[in-house]
Amino acid sequence: MIKKILLFVVLLSLTLSVTAGAAVTALVLDGSTTVGPVAKTFAAYFTKKYGVRVTVSESGSGNGAKSLINGSCTIATMSRAMKEAELAAARQKGVNPVASVVALDGLAMVVHPANPVRSLTKAQISSIYRGTITNWREVGGPNASIVVIQRESNSGTEESFKELVVGKGVQITGRAETQSSNGSVKSRVSSTLSAIGFLGHGFVDRSVKVIAVNGILPTVATVKNGTYPVSRPLYFYTNGQPAGLVKQFVDLPKTAEGKRMITELGFINR
Amino acid sequence: MNIGTRKILDRSFTAVGIGSIIVMAVALMIVVVPIITNGIGAVFFTGTVEHRKMLFSEFKRGDSENLSSEVASSERYRAKVYQMLTGFEAELETMAPEQKAEYQAKYTQVRAALQALLGPLPGDPEPMLTRFKYGQTRWEKAEEKLHDLLYETRWDNSNPEVMAKEYFVSRAIGFQGTSLVKLFPYVKNNLESMLLPEFTCYWGFITDSSVDSHFFGGIWPEIQGTFFLAVGAMLFAFPLGVVAAVYFTEYARPGFLNSMLRSANSTLAGVPSIVFGMFGLAFFINTMKVSESKSVIAGALTLAIMILPTIIRAAEEAILAVPKTYREASLSLGSTKWNTIATVILPAALPGILTGGVISLGRAAGETAPIIFTAAVSVGSAIGLADVFSSPTPALSWNIYNLASEHEAAAQIRHVQYGMVLALVSIVLMLNLSAIVLRARISKKLKG
Repeated sequence: MIKKILLFVVLLSLTLSVTAGAAVTALVLDGSTTVGPVAKTFAAYFTKKYGVRVTVSESGSGNGAKSLINGSCTIATMSRAMKEAELAAARQKGVNPVASVVALDGLAMVVHPANPVRSLTKAQISSIYRGTITNWREVGGPNASIVVIQRESNSGTEESFKELVVGKGVQITGRAETQSSNGSVKSRVSSTLSAIGFLGHGFVDRSVKVIAVNGILPTVATVKNGTYPVSRPLYFYTNGQPAGLVKQFVDLPKTAEGKRMITELGFINR
Repeated sequence: MNIGTRKILDRSFTAVGIGSIIVMAVALMIVVVPIITNGIGAVFFTGTVEHRKMLFSEFKRGDSENLSSEVASSERYRAKVYQMLTGFEAELETMAPEQKAEYQAKYTQVRAALQALLGPLPGDPEPMLTRFKYGQTRWEKAEEKLHDLLYETRWDNSNPEVMAKEYFVSRAIGFQGTSLVKLFPYVKNNLESMLLPEFTCYWGFITDSSVDSHFFGGIWPEIQGTFFLAVGAMLFAFPLGVVAAVYFTEYARPGFLNSMLRSANSTLAGVPSIVFGMFGLAFFINTMKVSESKSVIAGALTLAIMILPTIIRAAEEAILAVPKTYREASLSLGSTKWNTIATVILPAALPGILTGGVISLGRAAGETAPIIFTAAVSVGSAIGLADVFSSPTPALSWNIYNLASEHEAAAQIRHVQYGMVLALVSIVLMLNLSAIVLRARISKKLKG
């Protein structure tokens, strides 16, 4: 009996090693939760159309960059551009990150639908996140102290927000609550009357209210022509100029079908 | 101590014991009952004709004749809705510009609500995303969407000192005096005829792949990934663990080194699982390069290291529990040490060793932290055995977290999340049950 089992195991491992030897073409995507919906939809489309396995992890832009540098992903999805330090680390490892823009994304400032505040200026948002404005009354709302919600340090959305609104290197108030993904920011804001947070435009739904920044709401038009002040491009990063399958995948946003998928997901085509 | 006090102490201990068991049972009920009732909803629910359409076109499942007659009958009722829409659109054209703009905004909302309820309307372009190709597939969701169609959510801002209060306004009132006003009662009264709800038992939830990141379809890739990871971890950890336990109990000489090794093993058993996850990423993927990227093999190895200490401890206990007389009898018959271990001690210890193994298997199946960085992805197809060396996989534990927090439409697909939770709990439960059964059978056999 034991001999039979042993024989079976040996045979199994033999067949496995043989099949594993054959080159498996698969794309591995890792990175931003904001780009997640696009990446997942593209992955399903690509698998259906070309029969290539595509896997998607959403662990944050910072992790995406690290994975690309370590060579453990084919495409890093990022909601911010790579930083100088990351580029240097990549060069050191012989990795040459090449960016291509997937879509544009307006960072929507969201509050609970019960909040009567409709518009804030960039300066007001900045003060809220720096902790100098702590009550909605100071910005024309009801008397309720503001629950400030930010993302974790690994998030590209957080970095973009800091860069575009608060200013680089400025400390965000210690009372700010940290959430780990767009989805959890949304559920926290939709369940907290006095909360404020920021989301990728594709994540906005009716459970939260988008407020205008400097009087402008994020829409396809305002993000595209740059009048909405808090928007940023989303990227696919590859090691070296993409070629073959990787190129086909990275170029999806340029195809008509890719553009329609991006629009239906609530992102904005470049 | 006099006998009266002893009796009281004895009784009160019994009472505390029973009390704690009751507390545990209640806690278990509070946890398990919602898991089961919500999770069952992923498989058994009231499905609409949209669900059957989806099954037919995405999975080629269902009776096409039956379906087309159903679609035809629902279309008869829908046609009137479409007619009202075109009627109103024509009416819009005849309105004064400012009136038209006012109605247009409201009409866009109505159209969107109808699309969510019934799927794409005539004249809409065919959507790319599967989630927009169908109306509501579940009746309870359809009823929610019907409410959205009939009522508009408004916020009462009359008191600027407090947050606004939610209230609902009937949309029909907004269209008073136009032809569209008839649409609302019509949809309300004929929704059943348009969606044809019937009790559905969707076993495909367990055996299908997901469609459009879990909007439709099932969780087979996750179940399979969990299975591969847990069994893979077992393949590495179980033999190693048993060999280590034999060494500790039979061969190692008691001494400083031995006691250090044992306490190191106990410490390892208490290390938080995320530490193993980071170790797995740093060691197996970045240093050893067992695979190019995250892969089942890297995840299985990480899980193996995590469960190894538990298996060693369980196996050690089981071996130590074998009566000394067995060993003595075997050796006195002239058997060698190795022969005694292989033919007498290990078989006698087998039930205990296996129990430890299966309980670890359950733990490996349920752990999230070790596989976040080494094996798990949020979307991926089911993988074949040959791909375990190169391909990462979705897994139940990680995807439950992903659907609960990161998914862009988490609130719309709660039923999938509950279904996954139930699947994971059942898998772990089944593994533990099989451990009990296995143990009972083997001990029975040994007693002969």
